Amino acid sequence: MLKGVNRKLGLVIFLLSAGYLTLSYNLPTYPYIPVDADVIPKTLGWILLVLSIALFFAKDQDSEEQKARRHIPREDVKALLGVFVFVFIYITLFETIGFIIMTAAFVFFCSWFLGYKQHVVNALVSILFPVFLYSVFVFLLSINLPQGILPF
Amino acid sequence: MGAVEGILTGFEVALSLEGIMFVLLGVFVGTFIGMLPGLGPISAIAIMIPITYGMNPTLALVMMAGVYYGAVFGGSTSSILLNAPGISGTVATSFDGYPLAQKGQAGKALAIAAISSFVGGTISVVLLMIFAPVLASVAVSFGPPAYFALMLLGLTAIASLSEGSTIKALIAAIVGFMIATIGIDPQTGTGRFTFGSANLLDGIDFLVIALGLFAIAEVCFLVMNRRKKSVTNGKDIGSLKLSKQDAKEISGPAGRQSFLGFILGILPGAGATIASFISYITEKRIAKKPEEFGKGALKGIAAPEASNNAATSGSFVPLLSLGIPGSGTTAVMLGAFLVLGVQPGPMLMGDQPEIFWGIIASMYIGNIFLLILNLPLIPYISRILTVPRPLLISLVIMFSLIGVYAISFSTFDLYLLLAFGVLGFIMRIFAFPAPPFILAFILGGMMEQSFRQAMTSSGGNISVFFTNNISLVLIILSVISFAFPIIRNLRKKKAH
Amino acid sequence: MKKLLGVSFLVLMLIFLAACGDDTSTEEDTESNEDTTSEGDVDSEENGDWEPEQSIEIVAPAGAGGGWDTTARMTAQTLTEEGLIDQSIGVVNEPGGGGAVGWASIANKEGSPYDLFVSSSPILLVPLNGQSEYGHEDFTPIANIIAEYAGFAVREDAEWDTLPELFESMKEDPSEITVVGTSSPGSMDHIQFVRFAKEAGVDITQIKYVSAPDAGGVTQLLNGSADVFSTGVGEVVEQVRSGDVRLLAVTSEERLEGDVLSEIPTAKEQGIDETFVNWRGFFGPPEMDQAAIDYYEAKFKELSDSDAFAEIRDNYNWEEMFMGSEEYEEFLDQEKESFQEILDELDLSEE
Repeated sequence: MLKGVNRKLGLVIFLLSAGYLTLSYNLPTYPYIPVDADVIPKTLGWILLVLSIALFFAKDQDSEEQKARRHIPREDVKALLGVFVFVFIYITLFETIGFIIMTAAFVFFCSWFLGYKQHVVNALVSILFPVFLYSVFVFLLSINLPQGILPF
Repeated sequence: MGAVEGILTGFEVALSLEGIMFVLLGVFVGTFIGMLPGLGPISAIAIMIPITYGMNPTLALVMMAGVYYGAVFGGSTSSILLNAPGISGTVATSFDGYPLAQKGQAGKALAIAAISSFVGGTISVVLLMIFAPVLASVAVSFGPPAYFALMLLGLTAIASLSEGSTIKALIAAIVGFMIATIGIDPQTGTGRFTFGSANLLDGIDFLVIALGLFAIAEVCFLVMNRRKKSVTNGKDIGSLKLSKQDAKEISGPAGRQSFLGFILGILPGAGATIASFISYITEKRIAKKPEEFGKGALKGIAAPEASNNAATSGSFVPLLSLGIPGSGTTAVMLGAFLVLGVQPGPMLMGDQPEIFWGIIASMYIGNIFLLILNLPLIPYISRILTVPRPLLISLVIMFSLIGVYAISFSTFDLYLLLAFGVLGFIMRIFAFPAPPFILAFILGGMMEQSFRQAMTSSGGNISVFFTNNISLVLIILSVISFAFPIIRNLRKKKAH
Repeated sequence: MKKLLGVSFLVLMLIFLAACGDDTSTEEDTESNEDTTSEGDVDSEENGDWEPEQSIEIVAPAGAGGGWDTTARMTAQTLTEEGLIDQSIGVVNEPGGGGAVGWASIANKEGSPYDLFVSSSPILLVPLNGQSEYGHEDFTPIANIIAEYAGFAVREDAEWDTLPELFESMKEDPSEITVVGTSSPGSMDHIQFVRFAKEAGVDITQIKYVSAPDAGGVTQLLNGSADVFSTGVGEVVEQVRSGDVRLLAVTSEERLEGDVLSEIPTAKEQGIDETFVNWRGFFGPPEMDQAAIDYYEAKFKELSDSDAFAEIRDNYNWEEMFMGSEEYEEFLDQEKESFQEILDELDLSEE
C-alpha cells in the first residue's frame, strides 16, 4: 500500500490538510462581513486535500538524481543533527549568555565539528567576526543585541 | 513654478557641493547597512532619523533617500553569495544569483546585480522626473478588485516557476498560502492558527521564511558536501568581466523590468518585493530558454535587481505627490520627512519645489555613486566564497540568525527560522519547489485581503471584479497566462 | 591562509574605526552631562530621593518607524539633549502581536525602575479583544505625553457636508456606505467611528467596515472604493489642504489649531456629544516604586513643557496632552469601560 514515495508523501499531506481544515472549521465567526475569516482557509484546506489524493495516486517519476538526493548517508545524518543541536543550543542560550560569547562559541565549535582543522584561524575568525558585528550593531547603529554576561 | 524650472532647481540642489556630499554619505551608509544581516531600508532609515534632526531639510532628505535606495542596492550581496537574502526585495535575486556564484562566477553575478540595479534606478528616476506630477492618479487608481486581480495574475505563474511535478508545485504553493493565513485577520480581528501564541499574532515575517527555506536549507546540503573543496579554485571568482554577449543578454530584461518595477512600485502595498518576483517570472516566461532559469541565468539576476530598484523610486510617487506611504519602508521615510518639518503631499511640489525636485535629481547622482562604490568592492567581497566549507557553513548560519533577530528581537523567530530550514530541506529532498511556496506566501495574503475588502464593499456581490476596468483586464490576462502553457503543452503532444 | 589573515586585519581595522566612532560620541555625551549636572542636583532635591543610577531602557512594543517607536525615540532624544535625565536612555523595539509580545516581556520586570515603555489605546483594546494577557491594569501608568485626534474623511465631491448628514444616510441605508480604516475591527480606527455612530443613533451592527493596511485607507477613499475614512487627523491633513478630501468632523473636545485644521468643526459642535482621543504615554513595569514614579512624572512634565518637544509635536502633528500618574490611571479605567461597552454591543469582546 505505501510502497511509492508519493504515497507516503500523499498521506502526510492528507493529514496536514485535515488538521488545517479542522482548525479552519473551528475559527470564530464574525457576523458583519460577507466573506468571513474562515472562507479562504477552508478553500485552501480542501484544495490541499484534493491535491494530496492526486499525489497519492500519481506515479513516481523520479529522476536518478532525485533518488540519490533522498539517500542520505548515515554519517551525514549525524553531521546534520549535530549542527541542528548546535543551533538549538545557540538559540536557547542566546539571550542569557549574550551575543558575543555564544556566537564565538558557535562559530568555533561548529566549524571544528564539521572538520575544520586550522584552529588558530578558526579561533581568530570566531572571535573577530562576532565582535565586529556586535560593535557595528550596538555602538555604531545603536541596535541592541543581547549583552548577556559580558559587561559591555 | 513649471516642471522644467523645478527640475533645474532640483539639479542645483543635487549638484551643489553639499548636495553631492550628502548623497554620497547617504548611499554609502545605505549600502553598508543593506549588506548587514537583517538590516534593510526600514532599519537603515530609522537608524538615520535621529542624526538628521536639526539639519537642513533638503539636504537631510536627499541623504535619507540615498540611504533608502542604497540599502536596496546593497541587499543583493548576501542573496548572491550566501543564498541568504538580507532584505525581502532581493529574495528573487538569489534564485539565479546563488547558482551562478556557486559556478565560480560570483564576481559576474554581483556585477550584473549592480549594473542592473543601476539601470533600474536610473530609468526609474527618468520616469519619476517626467511623470511624477501626473502619476499621482495612477497610484490611487487600484481599488481592492484590481489588487485582487493583480495578485491573481502573479499566482498564475506558479506552474511556470518550477520544473517537474505540477502537483508538487501546487502543493508547495497552497502550503505557502496557508502560512500566510497565520496571524490576526485584518478584516475581522480574529487570530487565525496562532495556537494562543502572541508571537504569531502578527503573522510570520517574510524574511524568516525566505532565510529558512533558502539559506538554512542550503546549509544542510553544504553540510552533506562539507568535504568538497569550496567553490572552484577561486582564481577568477571575483572577476567582473562581462562579455559583449552577456551585456546584450541582460540589457533586455534590465530595461523592460525597470518599467514594470517602477509601475508596481507606484502602487501602494505592492512594493519592491512583489515587483522583483513578478519581474523574475515575466522574464522567465518570455525567455527563449526558460529552463536556464534557476541555474544561474544572467537574466534571472538582471530582472529582479532592475525591478526592485525601480520599484524603490516608484514608491516615491505616492509618498511625495500624495503623502501616502505605500509600504512599511515608505512609512518610516514619511517619518523622516515629518521630523524635519516637511509634510509630503499634494502641496509639496508647489510649496517646496527644492525638496521635491532635489530628492529626484539627487537620485541620478546617487545611482552613479552606488555603481562606483560597489563595483570595486566586488572582487574582495566575492572572496568570502573561498573560505573553507566548514567555516563558511557556520558563518552563513550566523548571518541568518542575526538577520532574523535584528527584525524581531525575539528568539521565538529564531526557532521558527530553524523550523523553516528543516521544512526547506525536506522539500528539496522530496522535490517540492520552494519558489511557488514563497510566491504564494507574499501574493496570497494580499490577494485574500483585497478579495474580502472588495466583497465587503460590494455587499457580497462578486460582479465587482468584472465591472472595474483594471480588474477585468487583469483577470482576462490571468486566464490567458494560466491557459497558455497548457495549450502549448497540448499542441506539443499533438505534434509528437 | 594569507588571504584570511588579510581579511581579519581588515575586520580589525573596521572594529578600530567603529570603536573610535564610539569614543567620540561618549565624549560628547559626558560633555553634555557635565553641563547639566548642576541642574540635575537641584531636581533631585525637589523630587525626593530617587535618581536613576544606571541606563534607562524605553521599550517600543512595535517595529522601527511606527508611532510608538517614533514617540519613544523622540522622547529619549529630547530628554537627553535637553539634559533632563543624565543617564543614557536606550530605545528597544519588541514588535509582535500588536504590542502583546512587548507587554508580556515587561510584565516580567516587576519593580524595575529602569524599564519604561510607550503605549496608546491598543493597550486597552488588544486585551479586550482577547489577544493579550496583560492590560494597562498590570502596569504602572507614569504619564501621558501627547494626543492625536481622529477625523472622518470623505472625498471632496461626497454628498455629505456634516457628520450628522452622513449618519442620517447610514440610518436610511447602511449597505450603501463603506467605512475604511487602517486597523482591524475591534481596534482603534473601527471603534472610534462606531463610538460616534452609536451616539448618533446608527445601528452599529450594520456598519460596513473594511480594514486596509499600508495606507490603503486613503487610497481607497480617493479611488472611490470606500466612502468614509476613519483615521488620525494627521494622516489626511495634506489631502485636506489640497482639497481632495474633506474632514466632516474631528473628534476633539475643541477645534484643533492650524491653518486648515481650525476650520474643521468638532463632532460636538454638530450635536454629537462624543469625543475620542488617541493618547500616547509612558508606563512602567508592575509594582514600580512610588519615588521612581514621582521622578519620571516630573521629568515627563518638564519634557512636555519644553520648547524642543513643542517643535517635535508640531512636526508630527501631535497635540499636547499631559496627565500625571494618578489622573492617567483614572482616565484609562474610564476609557476601557467605554470600549468594553461598544465591544459588548458588537459581540466582539473576549474578556
